[in-house]
Amino acid sequence: MNKNSNSYIVIYATVMVVVVATLLAVAAMALKSRQNANVLNEKKDAILEALSASDRDYDAYVTAYAVDAEGARIDGVTGDEALQMLFDLKGAFGAGRYPVFEAEDGRIVLPVTGSGLWGPIWGYVALEQDMNTVAGAVFGHASETPGLGAEIATPKHQALYVGKTLFEGNDFVSVTLRKGGAKDPAHEVDAITGGTKTSDGVTAMLRASLGAYVPMLEAKRAAAAAAAATECETNNAENNE
Amino acid sequence: MSKEKEPIFSAKNLKYLTGPFSANNPVIVQILGICSALAVTVQLKPAIVMALSVTVVTAFSNLVMSLLRNGVPSRIRIIVQLVVIAALVILVDQVLKAYVYDVSKQLSVYVGLIITNCIVMGRVEAFALGNKPWPAFLDGIGNGLGYGMILVTVAFFRELLGSGTLLGLRVIPESWYVAEGGFYANNGLMLFPPMALIIVGCIIWIHRSRNKDLQEK
Repeated sequence: MNKNSNSYIVIYATVMVVVVATLLAVAAMALKSRQNANVLNEKKDAILEALSASDRDYDAYVTAYAVDAEGARIDGVTGDEALQMLFDLKGAFGAGRYPVFEAEDGRIVLPVTGSGLWGPIWGYVALEQDMNTVAGAVFGHASETPGLGAEIATPKHQALYVGKTLFEGNDFVSVTLRKGGAKDPAHEVDAITGGTKTSDGVTAMLRASLGAYVPMLEAKRAAAAAAAATECETNNAENNE
Repeated sequence: MSKEKEPIFSAKNLKYLTGPFSANNPVIVQILGICSALAVTVQLKPAIVMALSVTVVTAFSNLVMSLLRNGVPSRIRIIVQLVVIAALVILVDQVLKAYVYDVSKQLSVYVGLIITNCIVMGRVEAFALGNKPWPAFLDGIGNGLGYGMILVTVAFFRELLGSGTLLGLRVIPESWYVAEGGFYANNGLMLFPPMALIIVGCIIWIHRSRNKDLQEK
């Protein structure tokens, strides 16, 4: 048989493509559910890590729900549905659905999403009960440069965010990564040397994604302040008796 | 196949395995795979992961292509090679994602780099298409390891001098640094790709000066 005849080449290529395509399709379909379970577990772990509660059980410790652009809780969104939103967070944000993960102790975790230098970056920012102070942050990336931009995903970098505040008085200022070192200790962290573009991406991501939650954060802060005031009065009343 | 049965690890076969370590090293003699040598050598750990992955992929793509070699039409052989390599890499990545998710996360960035690594195609084209499966498999392992040795060497110097760490563990004490009142500063240039080229250049220089038959007249 002439192996360089056109018909042989066309048949060979067709058979090869069909065989390889079938093989890959079957593998992808068969492994899909296991892969999704792994990804979901990773997201749960990241949320717990942001809360510094990696030893806790996600299902028992965290309640997930979603809020709309005005910060009002959307009825009928189950915890699983809120978790599923993380698979397409940009899409969920676009549709005006913002998932929130609330821990047993009142701290919350907000997912953030944006773009680094080479590809998507994402993360989870945990806030203290005051809805202002960062309790922890976890970032992930698809393809930032190892040793440079990819440093955003290291504990060393993530530890910098703890204790930073999102609000200056009542204004939302977010947290900024400053090239050359943080100047404002309350709202800035050091940018990564050699990873300026990725650092800028993180700054933009925090500003945009956390900014979308501002109405909810403000409502919660107002509620907390009101509750504190009432509690104070109750205490006074009790003391008077 | 051959009438006399050749021992699995005959001297000839062993040469396929060990040749690429030095005299026929893919990076410093054949000058293949330089692009990925620049990309993944900022730290030691990704370099090791990359080295192991490339070894597995070159070995198995050599094996598969060597098995297919008599049927492949020579006019579209490059396309066939590419399909085989890409399919292998994606398949392995899918399985890793399902069963060892942590490893797959480590590899995520490199999957694309492995598929396009010139060593893989270079060895398939230069060796596997003209040799039997077993020598081709050994050649793949040898070249993968030869590539890995250079990668790890370059990464060792880049991480040590660029970040003061090895495998993420601190080697140069914090107290030596200028910021802590010491005298030492990391070499920022080490973190950038050009430095990998310079280190590879130095390795080639040393290697050639010790191997007379590699020197051009």
